[in-house]
Order: sequence, then structure tokens, then C-alpha cells
Amino acid sequence: MNFPEELKYTSDHEWLKMEDGVAVIGISDFAQDALGDVVFINCPEVGDELTAGEALGDIESVKAVSDVLSPVSGKVVAVNEALIDNVEMLNEDPYGAWIVKVEGVTDTVELMNAADYEAFCKEA
Amino acid sequence: MSELKRTKLYDTHVAAGATMVDFGGWDMPVQYPEGIIAEHLFTRTHCSLFDVSHMGRIIVTGPERVQYLEKVLTSDVSSLPLHKAQYCIIPAEDGSAVDDAYLYKIEEDRHMLVINAGNIDKDKAWLYPLAEEFDVTLDDQSDVFGSIAVQGPESTKMLMTLIGDETLAEMPKNGVEYYSLEGHKMLIARTGYTGEPLGYEVFPMNEDLKWLWDRLIGMGAKPAGLGARDTLRMEAGMPLYGHEMGVDEDGKNMPIFAVGLAKFAVAFTENKPQLIGREILEKQASAFKLLSKKDNSEIENLPRRIRNIQLTDRGVLRGGMAVFKGDKQVGWVTSGTMIPYYKTTGEGDDIAYTDEIGKRPIGMCYVDSDVLIGDEVEVDVRGKRLKAMITKAHLNASKAPYAFPALH
Repeated sequence: MNFPEELKYTSDHEWLKMEDGVAVIGISDFAQDALGDVVFINCPEVGDELTAGEALGDIESVKAVSDVLSPVSGKVVAVNEALIDNVEMLNEDPYGAWIVKVEGVTDTVELMNAADYEAFCKEA
Repeated sequence: MSELKRTKLYDTHVAAGATMVDFGGWDMPVQYPEGIIAEHLFTRTHCSLFDVSHMGRIIVTGPERVQYLEKVLTSDVSSLPLHKAQYCIIPAEDGSAVDDAYLYKIEEDRHMLVINAGNIDKDKAWLYPLAEEFDVTLDDQSDVFGSIAVQGPESTKMLMTLIGDETLAEMPKNGVEYYSLEGHKMLIARTGYTGEPLGYEVFPMNEDLKWLWDRLIGMGAKPAGLGARDTLRMEAGMPLYGHEMGVDEDGKNMPIFAVGLAKFAVAFTENKPQLIGREILEKQASAFKLLSKKDNSEIENLPRRIRNIQLTDRGVLRGGMAVFKGDKQVGWVTSGTMIPYYKTTGEGDDIAYTDEIGKRPIGMCYVDSDVLIGDEVEVDVRGKRLKAMITKAHLNASKAPYAFPALH
């Protein structure tokens, strides 16, 4: 299992990367492995306001549906449209397959660095 | 919590990297590392192995076993010939299902009844007392031998290689015979729960289970877990007890004839005067017959039926979602997920698989009996009304050795 150093992680298994004041958000390798084959994603729309700790969308695997919780509060400025028709990218490349980009971040849930998150996953 | 039960293949599943889950008190593989989608598609195009040793296997003997079975099972037991099997339902007094089962006439003097794993205790508590007034013996041999489902277009060839001749190719659907596989004697039945035109359930003694599993894997079969077992049966439109049978979302018992397969599984012969729930089942059957001619005059005896459903909007169906026609709720989704398929090329007899993968949101639902095939309905998918259609079938199994997706 892969835990890139440059990312921050939530206890709900999302990852977050800050790029020039923009928060890029996806789900972790641990999350995609636990979900199994991802078959569908519901994304927010550009312009939507997100609230830290609340669902930004949901991901369906063959087995079940899970909410993706937003690590930040802010405004959606981009949605990864390529994911919608190729949602298996979340399984194949979870850290390349970003879901949304958020600007104007006002609030953030508690985040872990890679080492802490790896330890957290081992306990789970 | 009591400890989970394990089949004799438990260590084999763990060694293969399976994800194990609690299924009806059993620690079972839900999927192997390749995942449910790959396992589903491999079954449709090659051959998959499913450990179904967790299911209950009861041997029924004694001079009055046929009379007994005619009472406790819906099917025409007296007409079941040696070396054949039949789908049947264990009826309750109110015309609902205690369980669904498969009955195999394995020897002149004995039948084998295979029941759902999660219902073994309940079924035995129901079936054993009913046996007391008959000269019949029920012997639960689930711990003595196991079962592996060998399903898919390459299954016949693989098993014939182990048998050493080609007689298995002649076995009809629902056939069951003893075979010797490289010296290991076991029952092979041409039955299954995947919708595959070619598929077998093999019943090896405990000591032969691992041998058969490893031998078939060595020949190119792949293991598949409960996840793929569920997506395959859903695509085949086969009922699962607890979803399409038993208690509905409103807490009411579903009538047996709600499931279309009841037409083949329920008989009202003169050999079944004591059939449990017979009077109510005859009313359901009459309503079923009239409904199929679009005559709703007896609809109160069969108010809702199980149908196949496909979402036409983007989304995924799940059991428990409400189904609407206009403003009126007409029922519930009973099972649903996104199902993968290989896209096809050609029509009719020229149809063939390509290697391009598609997926479709399909499922089954329990809806008012005046909702018909082809009707447009709506489903409440997590607070949003999405469009869906009632369909005849998700799968076309008439082009052996392959089952092809029926697309709408």
C-alpha cells in the first residue's frame, strides 16, 4: 500500500494536496482497496460550496456506496470529468485520480501526514 | 458473538489472498485479489470456481420420503426421475417461502436436499418436526461432504478431462450422476446459480475438496467469491432468499408466486394433497395465470411480483430503494448493483463477445402486479428520482456455451 509523502490525509481516507492555494482532493490507496471495484461516482458541480467534514459526493463499488467527505470548506473550481466515464481510475491510480479542486479554503478537518496516516491504517 | 464457521477450503481461500467476510455465520471469501468485476467476467467467458460448501446438504431416506417431500416441498417430487434434480421451494402455511432449495434424486432410495447456508438452522427446525409423522430419515451431511460450483463455458471440458471421457457433455440441465475424477468418486450435477448455459455443482467428500479445487485451478479455472456469485445471479434474474423471497421491505411475507420461477417450482398434482399452504398457493397460481393474460381480477391474491429492473439514468440501484410510477409508490428494489459485461458484436447466431467492457445499473424489484415489462418507473436513489425501466431479462442464455447480456 502506497502513502505518498507530499499528501495530507483524513481519518475518512481522503487525501489532500495544496497547489498554489487550491486544494486537490481524492481518495487514498487504502480507501480504494477497501471499497473494491469502483463502478460509479457522484461528483459535485463547479461552483458548489463544500463544508469540511460533509459529503462532497459518493462512490459506489460493486458492494456498497460510500460518501466522500470533504476535508475542506471552500468553492469547487474544477471536477475531474475524466473520472465519470473511467471511474476505475480510482482503483488503478488513486493519487493520480483527483476528484475535485477547491479554492478559497476557510476551514479544514484534522489532517495527518503520511507516516501518521500509514500507522492509522495499520490499526484499522 | 459465536465463532464463525469455516469450510474445508478456508485455508485455500486465505492463501489465495481472498477478502473474507461473515456470511450467515460463515467466514467466506467475498472476492479474490482480481476483484468482483474480473471474477464476474471470467465466469461468463471461461470458468470460475465457487466454494459453496457452506450450504446445507440433507440426505433424505426411508420408505415414505416421497410422501414427506411432496408435503414440505412445492415441486412434483413423484415425477422426479433418478439422476435428475429440480428447483423447489419450502412453503409456509401462508403461501410464503421458508426457503428455496434444490432437490436431487441421487439414488433409487435417496434424495439430497440443498438449502441456503443462512437458513440451515431455521429450515431444520421447520423440516425435522414435520418428518415425525412419516417413515423418513433426514441426515444432515453438510459436514461429511462439500460442494464446489464449477461455472462457465469451459466448465464441461475441464471436468471431462478429469473424468477421462466425454459422457458429461451429454448430461442434460438438472442432471446428476456419480463420476470418478482421476479415481475420486463424487456427484456432479448440471445445476448452478450463475445463469451460465454450462455449469456444474460438484459434491466431493471433504478429503477430496482441496484436491478438486487445486486441480481445476491448475487447469485454468479461477476462484470467484460471494460478490461475483451475487452479481452473476442478479444478472441471471435468479432470486436470493432474504431479497426476492421471505419478508419484504414493509415487513410482510412475500407470496411464493411473486417469483416467476414459481411457475416451474410449484406443482398441484394428486400426489401433493398435504402440500403445506396448498389452498393459498392455488389462489396465487390462479392470480398469476390471469395476470399473465393482463387480467387483474384476482390481483389481491398476488398484489406484487418480482421483476427485473434497469436504471436508465446515471446511478446505481440498491436493495431497499423505493420504486414509483407517477406519484404512487409501487414497490421496492430488492437487489441491485452495477454489473459488468463484455460488449458483443453481431446479431442472432453470429453474436460474439468483444474484449470491450461495459457496465450497467441493473437489479430486481418487488412491484405492484399491474406494473408490466417495458413500463417506465422511477427509483428514489439517495433522495433523487431517477428513471428506470422494467425489463424482461438481463441475460440471454440461449446461445450455449455463452450467456450474453440482454441490453435495453
